[in-house]
Amino acid sequence: MFISGMIHILGETFKGLFRNRWMCLTSTGVVMVTLLMLGLFMLVNMNISHITDTVKEQVEIVVYIDDQADEATVSDLRQRLSGHHAVAEVFYVSSEEHMNRLQRQLGGILEGYDTALENPLLASYEIKTKIPESVVGLAQEIEAYPGVSEVFYGQGYVENLFAVTGVIQIVGLALMAGLSITAVFLISHTIKLTVMMRKREIAIMKYVGATNWFIRWPFLLEGLLMGFAGAILPMAALYYIYQYSVEWIAVNNLIFLSLLPVQLVVIELAKYLVPLGTGLGVLGSAFSMGRFLRV
Amino acid sequence: MVEAQNMCMKYEKGGRYALENINFFIDRGEFVFFVGSSGAGKSTLLKLIIRELKPSDGVLKVFNRNVARLPRHRLPYLRRNIGMVFQDFRLMEERTAYDNVAFAMIVTGASRREIRKRVPHVLGLVGLQDKEKARICDLSGGEQQRVGLARAIANRPAMIIADEPTGNLDPGTTLDIMNLLRSINMRGTTVLVATHNRDIVDRFKKRVIYLDNGKLVGDEQKGIYTHVH
Repeated sequence: MFISGMIHILGETFKGLFRNRWMCLTSTGVVMVTLLMLGLFMLVNMNISHITDTVKEQVEIVVYIDDQADEATVSDLRQRLSGHHAVAEVFYVSSEEHMNRLQRQLGGILEGYDTALENPLLASYEIKTKIPESVVGLAQEIEAYPGVSEVFYGQGYVENLFAVTGVIQIVGLALMAGLSITAVFLISHTIKLTVMMRKREIAIMKYVGATNWFIRWPFLLEGLLMGFAGAILPMAALYYIYQYSVEWIAVNNLIFLSLLPVQLVVIELAKYLVPLGTGLGVLGSAFSMGRFLRV
Repeated sequence: MVEAQNMCMKYEKGGRYALENINFFIDRGEFVFFVGSSGAGKSTLLKLIIRELKPSDGVLKVFNRNVARLPRHRLPYLRRNIGMVFQDFRLMEERTAYDNVAFAMIVTGASRREIRKRVPHVLGLVGLQDKEKARICDLSGGEQQRVGLARAIANRPAMIIADEPTGNLDPGTTLDIMNLLRSINMRGTTVLVATHNRDIVDRFKKRVIYLDNGKLVGDEQKGIYTHVH
């Protein structure tokens, strides 16, 4: 009984897909277009997030050490900075290193200037924070530490950068949530239509004594296959679109647009789009069938 | 086999009775006509027997079980013991005669071998041995109803319920279908037929239960339609 039932369910799934091929193709098409739109937006959003994260990671605090401070104070300062819960890394930059950097930046302008005797530059600690957004608060805290001459973190610019990236992230999330909800509605309604067209068939099955699960399985499998196909095809399209974009950016030397690697993006998209497509296919079928099964 | 005790049915709370205070007992192997004009309650009564509806009041027993108390998951097993025949045939039109009959057996978990043996046999019983592979939409109305009958008897049910089975058929085909129902009954299957075809009722001289405006107004052995109309 189990085997004949299983054969029947699988057979019915494929027969159902073939018999209602136009409706099924329409449903799959709707899933495809919706997920393609969602996927495209996700691609853009993921990369915007990546670029803003990269920019944010470059934010650091430079703590200039007071040249009057004694060795013990400087050593204490280093320990306090390294031990701070918000600090990820601390680098010491000597005044000589600062002068070397300045010479490199200015080219030959400082040639002949005796840096060993008259170096007015202060040594510093360069700090990377664990969370870029904590820079402002941390800088204010460090300013009060003994042995600190001055703290610099790009005052004014950093606050603006965080404000802009914050807005971009919120807008991105809101748009993605909106698109996801639209996708859920569009896909579940189209699948509902597919099931509604077959309500007569469902009623007949009930009259001849089919159990609800016996009726449901082929529809659920159909929904699953439609959803899966509707997710896989946009995935393939997105893969080629993204690969082409990455190549185009490389060819045109737009290196400031540091895009995420193709493989990583495709895996991220697949983690979201494939379960969404198949899940919506199955759930759309299950919910749409509910009232027709009450015969 | 089917017993109604003070059974009432209302579609809406506070609305009028579709069936009111119905009492009858139908024994195994009987052939019963439910007659009455449109809206008398015939179809409602049949829907109650297959538990498409539940009585609002009173008791309806089918196969000695109170159908109102039957849990929803047991319904398929009740219906496998009842073959249904409808006025509009209710067949899967894009499928073949064979598929339609086989489907009723597949849902009961019959083996493929059993189905391959039984389906041609029942199609033969209704005179469609050469139409196995014909699609329903390519068959005439009479042939479609024969497929409906074949499907109804495929699982050897204890009871056949036919709701206006000849309503869409010409007089000649009507008689063929009714004769088939009679032959099914002669093999021991209980047959309940809802109809307002007085010629058929008068010709067959079977038990007739008369319904009028939701009330049972007559129950006669070898009755004829014209007794109350």
